[in-house]
Amino acid sequence: MNDTDTDQITAYVEAVRAALSGLPDATRDELLEDLPEHLAEVAADDVGTLVDRLGPPSVYAAELLASAGYVGGFPDPPAARTDHLAEIRETTLRRLRIADVKTGPLFGYERASDFLVLLRPAWWVLRGYLAAMVLAWTLDGGTQPVGLLPRIGGSEVVAIGLLAVSVWASIWLGRRSLRLAPGPKYALWAGTAVLVLVAMAGFLNADSSTRNSYYTDVDYTDPYSHVQDVFVYDEQGRLIQGARLFDQDGQPIRLGSPYCYDPTQEFSDARPAPNELTYPYCAENAPFRMPRVEKVVPTPTDAPPTAEPSAGASAAPGAERSADASASARPVPSSSR
Amino acid sequence: MLRVDTTQLLKGVLDLAVLAALRDEDGYGYDILRRLRASGLEDVGDASVYGTLRRLFNAGFLNTYVVPSDEGPHRKYYALNAAGRAELERSGKIWHEFASTMDDLLRERGMA
Repeated sequence: MNDTDTDQITAYVEAVRAALSGLPDATRDELLEDLPEHLAEVAADDVGTLVDRLGPPSVYAAELLASAGYVGGFPDPPAARTDHLAEIRETTLRRLRIADVKTGPLFGYERASDFLVLLRPAWWVLRGYLAAMVLAWTLDGGTQPVGLLPRIGGSEVVAIGLLAVSVWASIWLGRRSLRLAPGPKYALWAGTAVLVLVAMAGFLNADSSTRNSYYTDVDYTDPYSHVQDVFVYDEQGRLIQGARLFDQDGQPIRLGSPYCYDPTQEFSDARPAPNELTYPYCAENAPFRMPRVEKVVPTPTDAPPTAEPSAGASAAPGAERSADASASARPVPSSSR
Repeated sequence: MLRVDTTQLLKGVLDLAVLAALRDEDGYGYDILRRLRASGLEDVGDASVYGTLRRLFNAGFLNTYVVPSDEGPHRKYYALNAAGRAELERSGKIWHEFASTMDDLLRERGMA
């Protein structure tokens, strides 16, 4: 063995190494570990050059690769991962095919997919509707509660127009998608998945708000909770004392509390028997008051037409005017709080 | 077109051939190649033997040891271990069954 042999061997090994560049470095190094020594044995036989005896390095590399079993034998990690993914995909598809055949008879078809294919145009229409709803909801800024039509700004015309365009576009896309390239097809599927998720969320939301509206629309706050006393006036604007209030069933209406606060006499307990409650409890607190014409009130019914109009006109209508009038007549605590 | 050639057949039995070549005597790579060729497997390629040795070693059927050489480089010798002998036994049986099946099949049709 001489230097020429060594150079020749080194060159051959490097050529084989280059031909095996597809392998991971560790695998390749391991595979070629003993090759220089091995080729030295071959060279020692001393008949012709290495290429004459072994063939081109690329052929040698291919034969080595085939016999050493690195094709699919000890693949590099990334290849193993894709193999793993492909395996999962294969398993899933196989199970789906089995389920497809098994559930087919439930729909009266050999395979369930035969039945589902028939539903495809219906899905296109539904998809158009869902897309219109999501689009309208997005454009509307989510300010309005979601209804059944894709309204923008509450307009029905826009809603129906959008619905028509969207359904038509979905059908058009559906007919085209049957012969789409893989890239756009996957994009369409991804978009559809997002659409379905958003639509499901919106559907659940709309459903719960529909079911709960019965409760949320009821107002439990009592508009009369602040009432402390009741003042009844006749059509002439005269305060009626000792009035009784009843509902349609003859039940007395209880409002306020039968206590009076008199700034001079402190509290006066005006608590009669419940069925004798009359309004107002505290006549002094009446919001509207005749300017000291009570003496005229007990006159016979003939008299009022002459005496009343001027007094009644000034007192009865208009809260502010009357409040002014009462304030000028006598300072009355308008609120007992 | 269907074609049977020795190279194709060798691929299936090269493991067995290499194991058998090491049954009675340890050997280094080129040595083993010479034994196989001397036994009549003229078509066996150098790269195939080298690759097969690497694979059998990785599979745990062979042990190796290095022997210094007076002229030339150190030589890596391969030797069958227990697993290798068991594998040779097992593969040998399979080959005999297969070969005799093929012999019978051909003989029945008057071809052997």
